[in-house]
Amino acid sequence: MVEAVLELKNLSVGYDEPLISNINLEVFPGEVITILGPSGIGKTTLVRTIAGLIRPLSGSFDLNVERRGGLGYIPQRLGLVRHATVAHNVSLGARTRVGFSLNMWKERSQRTMDALRMLGIADKSNEPVRRLSGGQQRRVATARTLAQRPQLMLADEFLGELDHSNVEIVFEAVQNLVDDGTAVIMIEHHDDNAQLFATRIWEIQDGKIADISIKEWKNRKTGGEEE
Amino acid sequence: MKYRLFGIISILLLLAWQTLDGLIEGDWGRLEGGLGNLSVFFSESMWPPNWSVIEARPYPVCESEIEFFCSVGYLGMMETIKIAFVATILGFIGALFFSSLAARNLVPLYVAIPVRILLSAIRSLPSLIWAILFVIVIGFGPLSGVLAMTFYTVGYLGKLQYETFEGMANDSLEASRAMGLPRSSILLNVVIPENSNHLLSQLMFMFEYNVRHGTVIGIVGAGGIGYYISTYLKFLQYEKVFALLILIFVVVVIIDLLSMMVRSFVNDEGDVRRPTWLNVVLSEK
Ligand SMILES: Nc1ncnc2c1ncn2[C@@H]1O[C@H](COP(=O)(O)OP(=O)(O)OP(=O)(O)O)[C@@H](O)[C@H]1O
Ligand SMILES: [Mg+2]
Repeated sequence: MVEAVLELKNLSVGYDEPLISNINLEVFPGEVITILGPSGIGKTTLVRTIAGLIRPLSGSFDLNVERRGGLGYIPQRLGLVRHATVAHNVSLGARTRVGFSLNMWKERSQRTMDALRMLGIADKSNEPVRRLSGGQQRRVATARTLAQRPQLMLADEFLGELDHSNVEIVFEAVQNLVDDGTAVIMIEHHDDNAQLFATRIWEIQDGKIADISIKEWKNRKTGGEEE
Repeated sequence: MKYRLFGIISILLLLAWQTLDGLIEGDWGRLEGGLGNLSVFFSESMWPPNWSVIEARPYPVCESEIEFFCSVGYLGMMETIKIAFVATILGFIGALFFSSLAARNLVPLYVAIPVRILLSAIRSLPSLIWAILFVIVIGFGPLSGVLAMTFYTVGYLGKLQYETFEGMANDSLEASRAMGLPRSSILLNVVIPENSNHLLSQLMFMFEYNVRHGTVIGIVGAGGIGYYISTYLKFLQYEKVFALLILIFVVVVIIDLLSMMVRSFVNDEGDVRRPTWLNVVLSEK
């Protein structure tokens, strides 16, 4: 049996008061989960808890990934080093995965260039990130995770401002990871983006998570339209 | 909103005035007398500046073609600049080490607080006192100056740096932490590049500061232009002192311009290619 990369055990998250409570869920390699829910309900809080940045209020979670580079995280504000070049930012992802060796420089830059090419920003590699457009910056953040090839990828609304063609470029990159067994948890606001990617939807409502398969989700949608 | 700011500034001004009045016990007459003294002193003793300080010294014999390079002003200034240069670089590196251990968003509190106390201890001695200490311990000369300024630079820049670090947006820190980048790597590859603009301007400011203070520590025998200033002061040659002060002012202005140029490489302003004379001179076309 395949082992879960993430197991949430009676987890409650929040700052002072719980925002989402008693979550019991598992995530397996190759799954793509989209978290949906209204603004301010605690989506970012949940993801930051899993990323190890805030403590759970109660309960716990098991993260079955390598300590170094096993977890990829794209924050809502992307977390790029704005004054550094595109290549530098993407190489941070590669850095977590390439250990010390004689040809680590070569390996790092190989990974970096591959990721840049895949996202169509190779020509920007020497530009400081701050000079890029919003959509291009999102692609840089994606490239960083692609160069990292984590086992679990957390992405907080990283499709946000992307137009359709960009969404496809990013989608292809993420698919490339998923094909290798990366599990993805992402927060989205647009239903259509959610349907494009996800294998499961976590819908947050009233402090609880409903775990819905994509099939059921789509049924519900079309059912809604027929009414 | 505007009125509130105006009100606050007025109150502060009034407070300062009251305090000053208390300090001098209402004896404002001395200020008037002082102004008179200053104008007499300036016109009789300092004016005009004696520019012999930028002519060759009588001894040793000048070997350079350009007299200026053998002048007291040039030699003293160069020594001061060199002392400031070395001390600023060494101090900057030392400060980075300590500030990265003092920023609350980079290390736990039980590390940050002792390091902060250490930094403020270093800073609580002005560079002049450090200079006196080192002159006592290792003797007269530029090495004492370098060490004194390095210490002070660590204390001063260290504080500026950790405050800068603490002010940075934490999303890049969070992303790299979640990714599992080690602390040293986060410092070198995320924190320093992200703050490069501030770090550079602080570095240039510190260099300028050290050049200015080089004049003071020279007075206690730690090398540089201050040595000549203190000698001229002793022999009441105020015209020469004034000439040297003007020289320092010019150097400080030049450093400021340099700092502006250096920073334009890393800040957003540098992205906008405005047609300034600098761009015209430096453009490739
Ligand atoms: N650092 C913090 N300290 C205290 N409360 C916080 C903090 N960050 C967020 N909150 C609160 O937690 C709640 C949930 O925030 P969160 O960012 O998780 O929402 P979200 O679901 O991601 O919303 P959005 O879709 O707008 O991004 C909000 O009410 C917010 O005010
Ligand atoms: Mg959010």
